[in-house]
Amino acid sequence: MNPKRLLALTRAGIMEALQFRLGIFVTLFANLIYLVLVYYLWKAIYASSGTDVVNGMTFTDTMIYLILATALFNFLEMFVVWDMSRSIQSGKIALDLLKPMRFRKYTFWSYTGNHVVQFVLTFIPTFIVVMIVTKGAINMGINLLWFIIATVLALVINYNIEMLVAPICLFTESTWGINIVKETIVLLLSGASIPLAFFPEKARMIVQYLPFRAVYDIPLSMLLGKSGSDTWQGLVSLFGLQLIWLVVLTVAGNLFWNCAVKKVTVNGG
Amino acid sequence: MDGLTGNEAVVMRNVCKDFKVLNRHEGLKGSIKDLFSRDYKTVSAVKDVTMTVNKGEIIGYLGPNGAGKSTTIKMMTGVLEPTSGEILVNGKVPYKNRTENCENIGVVFGQRSQLWWSLPLIESFKLLRDLYMVPQKDYEEMIDLYRSLVDIEPVLHKPVRQMSLGQRTLSDILAAFLHNPPVVFLDEPTIGLDVSMKSKIRELILGLNKEKNTTVILTTHDMGDVDALCRRIVIIDKGMKIYDNDIDHLKNYFGSYRTLKLKLADDTWEEMLIDEKTTDVMDVIMAKQKESKIKDVKILEISTEEVIKKIYEGSAK
Repeated sequence: MNPKRLLALTRAGIMEALQFRLGIFVTLFANLIYLVLVYYLWKAIYASSGTDVVNGMTFTDTMIYLILATALFNFLEMFVVWDMSRSIQSGKIALDLLKPMRFRKYTFWSYTGNHVVQFVLTFIPTFIVVMIVTKGAINMGINLLWFIIATVLALVINYNIEMLVAPICLFTESTWGINIVKETIVLLLSGASIPLAFFPEKARMIVQYLPFRAVYDIPLSMLLGKSGSDTWQGLVSLFGLQLIWLVVLTVAGNLFWNCAVKKVTVNGG
Repeated sequence: MDGLTGNEAVVMRNVCKDFKVLNRHEGLKGSIKDLFSRDYKTVSAVKDVTMTVNKGEIIGYLGPNGAGKSTTIKMMTGVLEPTSGEILVNGKVPYKNRTENCENIGVVFGQRSQLWWSLPLIESFKLLRDLYMVPQKDYEEMIDLYRSLVDIEPVLHKPVRQMSLGQRTLSDILAAFLHNPPVVFLDEPTIGLDVSMKSKIRELILGLNKEKNTTVILTTHDMGDVDALCRRIVIIDKGMKIYDNDIDHLKNYFGSYRTLKLKLADDTWEEMLIDEKTTDVMDVIMAKQKESKIKDVKILEISTEEVIKKIYEGSAK
């Protein structure tokens, strides 16, 4: 482990991400349209329910949650599946395998720069806007620290989910469908499109223990002080869940990748 | 492996590589059948190749398209595992510890770039310096050496995506040598380049080989590359090694061969291989001219394909 290598990769990633500044503005604009849609959708849901509080969340709570979830999604979004399928089809994978670092580590650190840029240019502005509009509804204290730790863990978990899906394209030689399925599952079960509080009781029981929740729901709960993250016990159980999935997915991802890379090295991809 | 002198950069012994390929059927019905087919055939890309490359050598690895050149290179770099046989690069088995092997080799695939597409070349260099953990002093020395060999100023601050193919290839070669690896693999580095760029790149490779005593394994279709760079060549065809000797040896046989192409009155090209030692090219043209009008004349060096044909015919071994 040499931090200089990792920093150098991150630095290059930041510089590359900044080359596509127009893309960042387009992302912000697309988010705005999406959030307008979400706003009216949930407004209608609350209006038809007849009460101010649905499943323990007020309309404002829901909106804050969903806006931040969208911003978090932009920040955490990775294109490992796309990039890997492209580099397998073009044969560029050979060059990536010839870097003096383990492939999984190399790939992860080539994305970190982009995450840094997205965090600063999409998440932080969104957060500030939410703070201004709600006149400081989000508590600014130790919860910010928990949120940052949880987000870093979420980043690694998300990468591991991607790395479990991406090598499938080595076997299928097509990625589009697989990627859509993965994206839908992650967005739905992680609480990024519907807060987990709105899930039916039984479904929530299951979803609560799945790794997808660790990507969006846990960091957001930490930030908003939900799901018992304002107590020590709650914090321990939430971080515990993240850590368990982190270890499980890293081990599984490693095994799967080692088996997948054999296909490249034995049969030439 | 025994019987080594310690002066070998690359050793290959009885290396074979088979690929399993699905037998595809024709038509829509065939495609549906393929979905469930377990009908594989084995394709041998490399058959029983044995060769040794000594330290500091520039070796030309030639053969027609599909001969197994790139497969061999990929095995030497550790990306592919041989089906059988032994390979040692810098005394180590490349595919067993790929990451470690990568620190001691440099690779250029002429068709692809390992550089960071949207960043200026200097940033790719800095990144590679950190990735390979090259000490700053060595890095600066290398850049100075590059400056003395080629004019790198025009490309150094240019984003890679804006470069011409020639500049990009040049940059890729520089990037492959940056961590001063003992062995560098160049897979068709001059493909698609113009004459002046080709000669620039040849000079650069020669200069780096001389300064750093780097072993270079070069695949190419261009006999000009071979002439300018290689003292020894290995030719493979259909996965088998068919020639392994000095270039001079080969030149004795083929140095005087020229391919003469004539465009005749009916716009067809007639092609013939002429040995200048025994036949005068001008005589042939004149004789032809009596039969038909000649619209255009081309005299080319003998191509790799024709060298291989000649070797098969048994004029050199």
